[in-house]
Amino acid sequence: MAVSTADHAVVADPGVALAAARARRGAGRVLVTLARSVAIFVPVFLVATFLTFALRSLSGLSPAHIQLGESATPDAVARIEHQWGLDRPFLAQYWTWFTNILHGQLGTSWTNGANIAELISNGLAVSLSVVVLALIIGVLFGFGLGTLAAVRRTTWIDRAITGFLTVFSVMPPFVVGIVLVTVFAVGLGWLPAAGYVPASVGTWPWFTHILLPALALSLDPMADVARQLRSGLIAAYQENYVTGAIVRGLSPRRIFLRHVLRNGVGPALSVLGWRFPTLIGGSVVTEWIFGLQGFGRFANDSAQAGDVPAVQGVLVVSIVLVVTFNLIVNIVLGRVTPASQRGV
Amino acid sequence: MTRTLPDGTVTAAVPAARPADPPALDPPAAQAAALAVRDVRIRDDVNDREIVHGVSFELRPGRAVGIVGESGSGKTLTCRAILGILPAHFAVSGGSIEIVGRDIAELTTPQWTDLRGSTISAVFQDPASYLNPSIKVGAQIAEVIGVKTGLRRRAARRRALELLTAVHLRDPELVYDQYTFELSGGMLQRILIATAIAADPQVLIADEATTALDVTVQAEILDLLADLRERRGLALVVVSHDLAVVAQVCDEVLVMREGEVVEHGSTADVLYHPRHEYTRLLIAEHEQYGLDRYLAGEQRKELDSVH
Repeated sequence: MAVSTADHAVVADPGVALAAARARRGAGRVLVTLARSVAIFVPVFLVATFLTFALRSLSGLSPAHIQLGESATPDAVARIEHQWGLDRPFLAQYWTWFTNILHGQLGTSWTNGANIAELISNGLAVSLSVVVLALIIGVLFGFGLGTLAAVRRTTWIDRAITGFLTVFSVMPPFVVGIVLVTVFAVGLGWLPAAGYVPASVGTWPWFTHILLPALALSLDPMADVARQLRSGLIAAYQENYVTGAIVRGLSPRRIFLRHVLRNGVGPALSVLGWRFPTLIGGSVVTEWIFGLQGFGRFANDSAQAGDVPAVQGVLVVSIVLVVTFNLIVNIVLGRVTPASQRGV
Repeated sequence: MTRTLPDGTVTAAVPAARPADPPALDPPAAQAAALAVRDVRIRDDVNDREIVHGVSFELRPGRAVGIVGESGSGKTLTCRAILGILPAHFAVSGGSIEIVGRDIAELTTPQWTDLRGSTISAVFQDPASYLNPSIKVGAQIAEVIGVKTGLRRRAARRRALELLTAVHLRDPELVYDQYTFELSGGMLQRILIATAIAADPQVLIADEATTALDVTVQAEILDLLADLRERRGLALVVVSHDLAVVAQVCDEVLVMREGEVVEHGSTADVLYHPRHEYTRLLIAEHEQYGLDRYLAGEQRKELDSVH
């Protein structure tokens, strides 16, 4: 019987042509990902910074009232506003402020004239230490618990894990924080109850000081990651390609690691993307409980004092953090499941 | 569906048993069966009903057996039982299945993993869903080769490219680096076949492997299966609801209905001397609704005037 084949393509030098084609495809993918990310990042950044800058005009706050009090004469107010350049046209002010931001300069505080970029980076070192550790704990345990629950689905292990996670996710971090302080710091005396020690002083003291707040913050992302991973993995296990892999004679271990995990991890990763900003936001309360001078505390204090440049700085840094983190998650997601980039 | 035979005559696929095919009988007794299915019964534990009531056939290396039946006739469950992948709460409740002489009832999970891919493998309908959407198709073939034959990366890649050529894909280098969502159904079925034969199995089960494909692609895939059978001595189990598909590649046909084998014999016997009512119906339907009917215009008018 004649075997019918598709007509043969005529290529002058197949080797060279194919290598070139493959290189183009590879480079094309990276470029598309980058271009797409930039196309999202730039407008978001522009709109968000513009709104942030408009805050001063919208709030009607002025450095003159902070420095001179409410009873200042209009002349004095005008003089101080001139010093701060606030009498210039709005767009001109925005342009100066925006170009400064691009150079990493966030201006000076209205209340004490300190360099805002410096204040924020001090606070951020504390907060990021806590939040990153919380994320690491959350992701590690979340992955472990989610995987275990999925592999042992419908058994008592699955039910116990799901139950625990539900309790975790409904407990607010401040309650968990207080419980942790009571048990581990006050009761057992294993860990310090409050304060922060920079990593430059010593890794161990730094770690012990951020461990409890990080634990308090980690329960939420842990529960989210575990639950998303569990349902993602269970859904992936029901896919035909798992049957395909079994029939091809791949071992259960390989099927889990290479086929199921890869396709089931998507929702858990995306959840991390929007978990990060809420973690930073949630750290305000935790920083109060653990007496940390973090980013959240700084934001809160600045807002209370009406220190507009400081608040603007906080917002700009938050925007950059959130957008960057989501960018990373998107890129990882694109690498792990290429189809997700096509909206498939 | 029509086929052009080498001598240039156009014939309907169903009545045309290929003259080159020897009848399935008079076996060289020495040759052991690659697959032996003996009175297999499958039960659904949930409502405690028997779904498949005794299927038996033997498949020697290089031979092909076809299972025909409507959906729900138990043909897919039979295949899954042979592969040891029955869905939850279905179980083999009677009979035995032997793959190259080993009773599958006694296999442990690692033994199953060993056996699948390298001794028995399968392809299915909707090939896209049976391949991982997140891994390049070439890498999935190379994975099977690497795991099953222990070849290193480069060698496995070279072997995978050879397989892509063997299943008649043009431009294997390009296809190797593509994902399932970038390929057509016909190409994916070829790739799925390549993954299935990557570890050189003796038995390949094709469960409705051509059903979702259009007619020309379907014919090409069937040709490919016949070609693999000829060149590699692959034993085939071809499952289809379409008698024409089975007739095209198989020496022996089982007709199933509601879990029962209603007819079993050589392809020529079943086509020309159907004993069971249902088989006659299947053939009659082909004659009545097949393309040939439309080609014979006069007969068609006749038919119209009757109604």
